[in-house]
Amino acid sequence: MKPIIKLSRVSKKYRRGQRLLLKQAILDFFKPQREEDFWALKDVSFNVMRGEVLGIIGANGSGKSTILKLMAEVIFPTKGEVEVNGKISPLIELGAGFHPELTGRENIYLNGTILGLTTNQIDEKFDSIVKFAQLEEFIDTAVKHYSSGMYMRLGFAIAIHVDPDILLVDEILAVGDIAFQKKCLDKMKSFHEMGVTIVIISHALDLIQTFCQRVILLQNGVVVTSGSPQKVIEKYRKIMN
Amino acid sequence: MQNLIKYKDLYWQLTFREINARYKQSVLGYAWAIIVPLMNLIVLSIVFSYLFRVPTGNIPYPIFLFVALVPWTFFSNSLVAATGSIMENGALITKVKLPREIIPLSAIGSKSIDLILTFLILLVLLFIYKVEFHQTFILVPFIFIFQLTFMVGVAFFLSATNVFFRDIGNVLGIFLTIWMYLTPVIYSPQMIPDNLKLLFYLNPMTSIINAYRDTILYGNLPNFAQMSYVIFISGLLLVLGYLYFKKRSKQFADVI
Repeated sequence: MKPIIKLSRVSKKYRRGQRLLLKQAILDFFKPQREEDFWALKDVSFNVMRGEVLGIIGANGSGKSTILKLMAEVIFPTKGEVEVNGKISPLIELGAGFHPELTGRENIYLNGTILGLTTNQIDEKFDSIVKFAQLEEFIDTAVKHYSSGMYMRLGFAIAIHVDPDILLVDEILAVGDIAFQKKCLDKMKSFHEMGVTIVIISHALDLIQTFCQRVILLQNGVVVTSGSPQKVIEKYRKIMN
Repeated sequence: MQNLIKYKDLYWQLTFREINARYKQSVLGYAWAIIVPLMNLIVLSIVFSYLFRVPTGNIPYPIFLFVALVPWTFFSNSLVAATGSIMENGALITKVKLPREIIPLSAIGSKSIDLILTFLILLVLLFIYKVEFHQTFILVPFIFIFQLTFMVGVAFFLSATNVFFRDIGNVLGIFLTIWMYLTPVIYSPQMIPDNLKLLFYLNPMTSIINAYRDTILYGNLPNFAQMSYVIFISGLLLVLGYLYFKKRSKQFADVI
């Protein structure tokens, strides 16, 4: 079976202290200063199969978010190749692209089209999105007046209405009240039953253990080990201590 | 360019977001789009029709100026908006996959409201000053398309470069002011010294502004040689700008 996401020998280089002003560039011309290269990922290869729930764990700075961004195709590898064969809905930062001055209604249309829906598709899904976000009363209020929970609920509700093949999830369950967390988790489970591929980054090891079928452990941009959640989490605990 | 058809809805949403948000943020809303060019018109008209006389043929100076000021203001505002657009939409660029060229394009699109409003005022002024209507007016949309092509090409270069050199935006304001004085907006092309003519006409905006005046005010056809040059340069800039933007856009999320 063809993998839905394929990373082949992926490395990602960032520059530390890259100068981002014209003024500095001109000064550098006369007095060059060294920029330091920093490899966020080194020679990482793995596949994600259709319908799989994959967890990625590792300490802060181990390269988890870089992998998610590569999968979302917002950044591109320095070396190697990332191949994605499906429609992605990134739950990376909910409500990216919300405009604070616009109402919930206007932001649903804005954010929905950003995530790849057409206006007609949003018309159809509009009621369902509002219902899921539990924002019926506030839908014509500017989102700058929303609480952070409401903001996030709306973002989540839009993201799951995109009919994705792949969900990228980055620590989103850390925010929001318990009731909504449970609702999100239930929704992700039903996505899984429908055959949607899910990639989760989290420090919540309980969640990873119960929800994922396979886990990858990263350290300093390198895959240390991968396999069953129990085995990998044990290894991770050992490294951290 | 295929993307643009597929992402039509996104383009409109992003454009409306800008227009809508601007309208909501200030009490006067869209009125600002008219007030600023009108103030410019009044001040410049007083200075250049009473203090320094600009020869304008049989056309009153205010209308002579406004015909040029409307497209120039659109040009200048659009470039400023497009240049900062990628950084302003940093949250989108680093989180969601979308064709990034759509962002400077919608920044330009959001300035079309200003253009439409000032253009309506121009029509009113043409009527008030009883400027004769010429058939060459129908050529205006074509001149506008050439201007747009040129602008989009320049906007691609500026918006992509601004991500890597963030002070481009600061320099741009001064640069655009100088550019305006080097373009016959407030004066007539006859006033350009003969030995500098070639230099002035390297700037495509010179011929574009002349063409608006020729067709709207004087009923003349635009200069063929000048227009050919404009079309060539604009087309070339659009293609090169697009390729440059595409190449650079792969690194946007790395540095934002």
